[in-house]
Parts: sequence; structure tokens; C-alpha cells
Amino acid sequence: MKTATRDRLFEAACCAAAMVLLAAMAGLLAALVWGGWPALHRAGLTFLTSDVWDPAHDIYGAAGPIFGTLATAVLAMLLALPLALGVAVFLTELCPPPVGRAIGIAVELLAAIPSIVYGMWGLFVLAPWFAAHVQMPILVAAQPGSLLDRLFASIPNGANICTASLILAVMVLPYMASIFAELLRSVPIHMREAAYGMGATSLEVLRFILLPFIKRSAVGAVMLGLGRALGETMAVTFIIGNAHGFPKSLFDSGSTIASTIANEFAEATGDLHASALMALGLVLFIITFTALTGARLLIGREIH
Amino acid sequence: MIDVTGLDFFYGQQQALHGVDLPVARGQITALIGPSGCGKSTLLRSLNRIYMLYHAQRAQGRILFEGENILAPATDLAALRARIGMVFQRPTPFPMSIHDNIAFGVQLQRRVSRREMDEIVENALIRAALWDEVKDKLHSSGLALSGGQQQRLCVARGIAVQPEVLLLDEPASALDPLSTAKLETALVDLKHSFTIVIVTHNLQQAARISDYTGFMLGGRMVEFGHSTDVFVKPETQALRDYVTGRYG
Amino acid sequence: MIPPKRPRDPALLRRRRLANGVFVALALLATGIALLALLLILGTLVSKGLGGMSADVVLLDQPGPGESGGLRNALVGSAMMCGLGMVLAVVVGVLAGTWLAEYGDGKRLASFVRFLNDVLLSAPSILMGLFVYEAVVRPLHGFSAGAGALALGFLATPVVTRTTEDMLRLQPHALREAGMALGAGKGHVVRSIIWRASRSGLVTGALLGLARISGETAPLLFTSPGNPFLSFRIDQSMASLPTLMFQYALSAYDDWQALAWAGALLIAAAVLAANIIGRVLTRGSFHK
Repeated sequence: MKTATRDRLFEAACCAAAMVLLAAMAGLLAALVWGGWPALHRAGLTFLTSDVWDPAHDIYGAAGPIFGTLATAVLAMLLALPLALGVAVFLTELCPPPVGRAIGIAVELLAAIPSIVYGMWGLFVLAPWFAAHVQMPILVAAQPGSLLDRLFASIPNGANICTASLILAVMVLPYMASIFAELLRSVPIHMREAAYGMGATSLEVLRFILLPFIKRSAVGAVMLGLGRALGETMAVTFIIGNAHGFPKSLFDSGSTIASTIANEFAEATGDLHASALMALGLVLFIITFTALTGARLLIGREIH
Repeated sequence: MIDVTGLDFFYGQQQALHGVDLPVARGQITALIGPSGCGKSTLLRSLNRIYMLYHAQRAQGRILFEGENILAPATDLAALRARIGMVFQRPTPFPMSIHDNIAFGVQLQRRVSRREMDEIVENALIRAALWDEVKDKLHSSGLALSGGQQQRLCVARGIAVQPEVLLLDEPASALDPLSTAKLETALVDLKHSFTIVIVTHNLQQAARISDYTGFMLGGRMVEFGHSTDVFVKPETQALRDYVTGRYG
Repeated sequence: MIPPKRPRDPALLRRRRLANGVFVALALLATGIALLALLLILGTLVSKGLGGMSADVVLLDQPGPGESGGLRNALVGSAMMCGLGMVLAVVVGVLAGTWLAEYGDGKRLASFVRFLNDVLLSAPSILMGLFVYEAVVRPLHGFSAGAGALALGFLATPVVTRTTEDMLRLQPHALREAGMALGAGKGHVVRSIIWRASRSGLVTGALLGLARISGETAPLLFTSPGNPFLSFRIDQSMASLPTLMFQYALSAYDDWQALAWAGALLIAAAVLAANIIGRVLTRGSFHK
């Protein structure tokens, strides 16, 4: 074969491989639409608005899991965001570089631990502890009908929205901390010199110089973390309690889209049940890809 | 005003300054000259301890500022740097408007009404010889200015805080001749209200604007004196060589 | 004229100093909390994992309730499916990354692919499982190791693609020009010079991809949910460590739970090893 022909073939192969990525994305969307269509067609808008999820009678309203997904992800971000920022600031701005590097590597490695391990830790360690040391005392102290009772009423088994959010927070924390740290490191050193040279304190440098500098990418990083938290399956499935419908309090069990799919797929006997789970997947696809697309648009190319 | 005695400086294991002495006179311009790597920037960066941003850098010796040793561990760096301001080699406008660039440092030091702040900003820009060029776009980004304008913005920002001493680290090295001239004019006007220490590799500049000059070589202070003396009748062969252009 | 000593606002300075002190303390606290949480998790992982560890873990297949057993079938299944998946991911990922780095400049389509790939990098893995279920498992009427490998492969591909592109872009232009100046075609230069020069980077991409998928559970639940026996058949459901861990961890039996922890420790160790080796291979040339 002539060299030129071979080179053309090689370029075509490379291009084809890139197209496989496009095809995977398109196929993903098509499969979810195709698979979820029967259930969506049957339930119509009530699929999104109703919280009655009753496979025995083939009634599928996904509002409960959708709410659970959003609630746990947002709660997790509320917990993880300040912590991640604190860790990143400590690593890059406050502690001596060798210590910062060591902790930084530890944090990055921990971000790589599979989520099922986090889930098992939640199930075996966090949930029992939470039930015994948080839920029981509140249960004992709360007057029936009081605000405390309404906010935290629950069966004290540690499997609820709150603990699921905690686990999610612990999971996205190292991930977000390492992105924030990388963003902070990307601020030119002469910016810092100039700001410290004016007599600013670390807090003022962070607030008025560094944060404005990385604002856009930082918002992207938050959305990236949010995307992770929204789509996370195993860490949540173990510990959220898997009850459909709206959780009645912060400590009530609930479900997320991903946990519902993971739990019920094996037992989905009816075609419509399976289709409803696919439709749930489609909803998850739309939510997470919105977040991730926004994140990538904001964050640019430099961060993984 | 500032009295440096026996200053040693280390980058990790490597010693960059060896027992340097430097007196800085109040209300005068002191220039530091010498070939690249002679330690003049290092000496300047010791005076406000900006080197503390870097882990492996440390200074030993004594730097008295108004009678207090600023190398003492208990020194409040934020307070020190408010009194000893600095303008860097590369223009470093913050990512905010021209107005806010100047307001930033002032707000750190005291509470100021909006009207008073506008006056301070205007005043600082006038003294940095920048007002006429930017008075119509105070609220556009400082990053949109030319290099020379950015550097004068940094000077304005530095003097708005009303430090007692202003340190300048080769402030004109990235500027064209016209911008340099404007900057120099501004500096000479400023010396009546500030004590200025400037590092420069431009001998004409040092001769033009400074009252005192220190010549450094290999991390040591080789000659120090009135600029007229230092430039007209250098005492050491090294300085004669440097003035006649034998070093880079 | 001698410049005066300027009065400053000592109260404001005190307040700023206090605010900064609180801030530093909070950052320290946040780091402490994070490290504590991570230490707790690692501690549990190691202590419970070692508790469940024995020679049986690698020698015996998964036990029924009350029997003794190990994780052999799951280990073999995981290795096979991850291995097959990585073959797919490396072939597609390296070629796609090469296209983006070497042929994609200035092409709209390339920017689009690059963007999608970045989005896919953090896409929920459970969706990939649903996709392969709908596209492969349902039409073929059955779970299979092949479907599992496909799902895992799709998950690893974006990682390999991204790393490959980054690594190839690190090679200096002079290297390409020198090759072309010798009369070699572009494809030849890429294959014989650029790939060779980026070898360790490409291996890193594969290792990072492997680290990403070796603990993945969700996509396997819909493609190859398990098999109680040692199996090498690609057209049948195969056991894997994560799915077995999921099943055993949620069971009521202590010995099953202990095995789940042993599996967790093995997976975590493998993932960390892959990560560390990957980083060491490209030390200095690659920031993440």
C-alpha cells in the first residue's frame, strides 16, 4: 500500500473513533427516549408532577425521586462547597507548600475511590451512628407537633435524606477541593504579590482578588460537582431509605432517580415499569447534562 | 527612615544577600542599581517582607523602620505593607475597574464616604499623571489600559493608600520611552510626600531622579552615597566598569 | 518637605486582623473536617477489609448463605470485563484523542466532539448502563459479560480520549516538523514518532480509565448483574466485584458483609495503585 493511502486510512480511522464518541452520546439519548416513551406516553405530564409511584398498579409519578435527587444534591453542595473552598484555600494559600502538596495528593487520590465504598461506609458506619446520636435524642426531645418534630420526625434508622446528603458531600468534597485548588493556583503570582503588597490580609486577597479572578471557572466547578452529586448512584442507594413519594422531613427516607433505577431495575417485571425507569433515566440525563454543559461552558478546557 | 544592617537573604540553601547595609533617607529617592542577579530586587522585596509569600525564602539581620525591627516575627505584615507600599516590575492591575483598583487599598485602611473616595481616586490619578487619560472611563476595567497606563495606575493605587515609603521594582522596565518619561515626572513630584526606594537597571534614570544611589554586586552593597558622588566619581573599579557599560 | 507619619485607624486594623484570624481558623477547620472524614472512611475500609480477608477470598467462588467462600468468580469477572472494556476504550480513545490533537485544529466538528467528551467525562455512569441495556441486552434477550464490558468501555473512553489529546499536545511542534522534513507523511510521523514519544502518557490515560471503571457498579447492574459460578463466557452474565459487593453489603449475613468489605479494600487498593502508577509515569509533564 502506498504511504499516502495508508496515511489517509489512518486519519479516517482516527476520525471514525471520534465519531464513535458522538454516536455514543446520540445513542444514549435515543435509547432513553425510546425506552422511556411508553411510560411517558401513558402518564403524560403527571410523570413529572405526581408523587404516586405504584408499580403494582402501573402508576408512575416521578416527582418524589426527582425532588429527592435535587434535594440531596443541593444539600450536599451546601455542605461540601464551603468545606471544599476552605480546603483549597488552606492548601494553596495558607500552609507551607510541601504540606499542601502532600494533602493535595491525598485529596486527589481519595476523589478516585469508587462510590460504592462511600456507600458501604454510609450504610455500616454513618447510618447507625446517626440514628443513635442524632435521631434518637431529637426524637426524645421533640414535642409532637412542634417545629422540631415536623423538621426531623422520622424512624431512627439513619437511612434518610440527610445522611444521603452527608455521604454525597463527603464524596464530592475531595473532587471539588482539588478543582478549586487548581483554579487558585492558576491565578498569576504577581496578582497575589500586588494585593499582599497593598497590605491586604489573606482573607481580603481571597475575597477581592482571587475569587473575582476565578469566579467564572469556580461557578463551573460547582456545577461540575453538582452534576456528580445529581447522578451519583451507589453512594446514595445504600443509605437514602428508598421510599417513594415526597420525604416529609429532613430525616425522612426518600429516593433519588438513580437509586430508584438501581433498586428496581432487577425486579421490574412489567414492561411499563421498566419503561418508567428508562423515563426516569431520561429525566436524569436532562438534569445532569444541563448542569455539566453549563459547567464546561464556564470552566473552559484546563480542568478535568 | 529605614535602616538596613547586616541583611542576609536566602533562597532555600542559596544565599543571595551577604551582610547588606542600606540607610534610606526620609523624603528622598534612593536608587538601587547593579547588574542582573546582584540582589537589588531581593533587597527591595525584603523591605516590605513580600518575600514571605514564598516558602523557602528567608531574611536574617535587622531592618529598622521608624525604630522597629520589621524582621521580628511578631510584625503585622498587613499593617507594615500599608505603610510601605510597592509597585512591581510588571503592571498588575486587579481584575476590576480603574476606580475600584484604587479604592481597594484605601478601603482596607479606613472608612471613606463615596464622595471622599472619588476625591482620593482623582487625586491619586492626578499625581500619577494618569487622570487626563482615564477620567472619562473610571468604571471600565483596569485591564483595558495600555501597559504604561496600567503601571501608572499601579502607582496611583500605591499612593492612594498614603504609605510612608514607596518601593518601586524596575517600574519602567516594561514601558516605552514616552511612558517612562511620564512615570519619572510623576515620581519626582511624589518625593515631596513619600520616601521612595527604586530598583532600576537604567543608569540615566537613576542619575536623573535619585538623591542617593546604592550599587550592588554579587549580593553585596559595593558603594552607597549621594547620587552625584556615586555617578561622578565612583570609588570602585566595579562601579566604573558598570557605569561605562562593561556589565549587561 | 518631610512627609509626616500618617495616622491610621487602629480599630479597623484590629477588626481586619480578627476577621482574617477567623478565616484562617475556618479554613483549617474545613481541612480538618475533610481529613477526618476521609481518615474515618479509610480506617473503616482497612480494618473491616482486612477482617474479611483470607486466602479463600481469591481461591473460592462466592458462597451461598451460611457456606464459606470467596470472591474468585467476581475477581475473574471484574478483570475480564474491565480488560475487555479497556481494549475498546484504548482503541477508540487513543484514536479519537489523536484525531482531536493532530487533525482537529480549526475544525468545528472537533471542538464539538471535544466538548461532548468533556461532558461525558463526568456523566452519570448509571445512564451508560441503561443505554447498553436498551441497545444490547434487550435486543439479545439476556444479560452478558460482553454488554457489561461495552458499558464499562464507554465509560473509560472519554478519560482515555482526553488524556491522549493532552499528552500528544505536550509534544513539541519541532518533533512533528522534524519528522515531516524527513519526508514521512503526517500519519506515519504520528504513529512512529509522536505516539512513541508520548508512550508513558498514553499508558497513564489507560490507567486512569481503568481506575475510573474498576469500581463501577451501576452500569453492570443492567448489563451483567452477576453469576454465582466462575464463568468465562462472554455471552452470559458474569459476576463482578462491585455488583457482588452491592448484593452482599445489603444482605443480612455477617460473613457476606465481611466479604463485601474485603472486596471494597481490594478495589480501593487497585484504584489507588492505578492512579499512583499513572501519576508517577507522567510526573512533571501532566498536572492532574
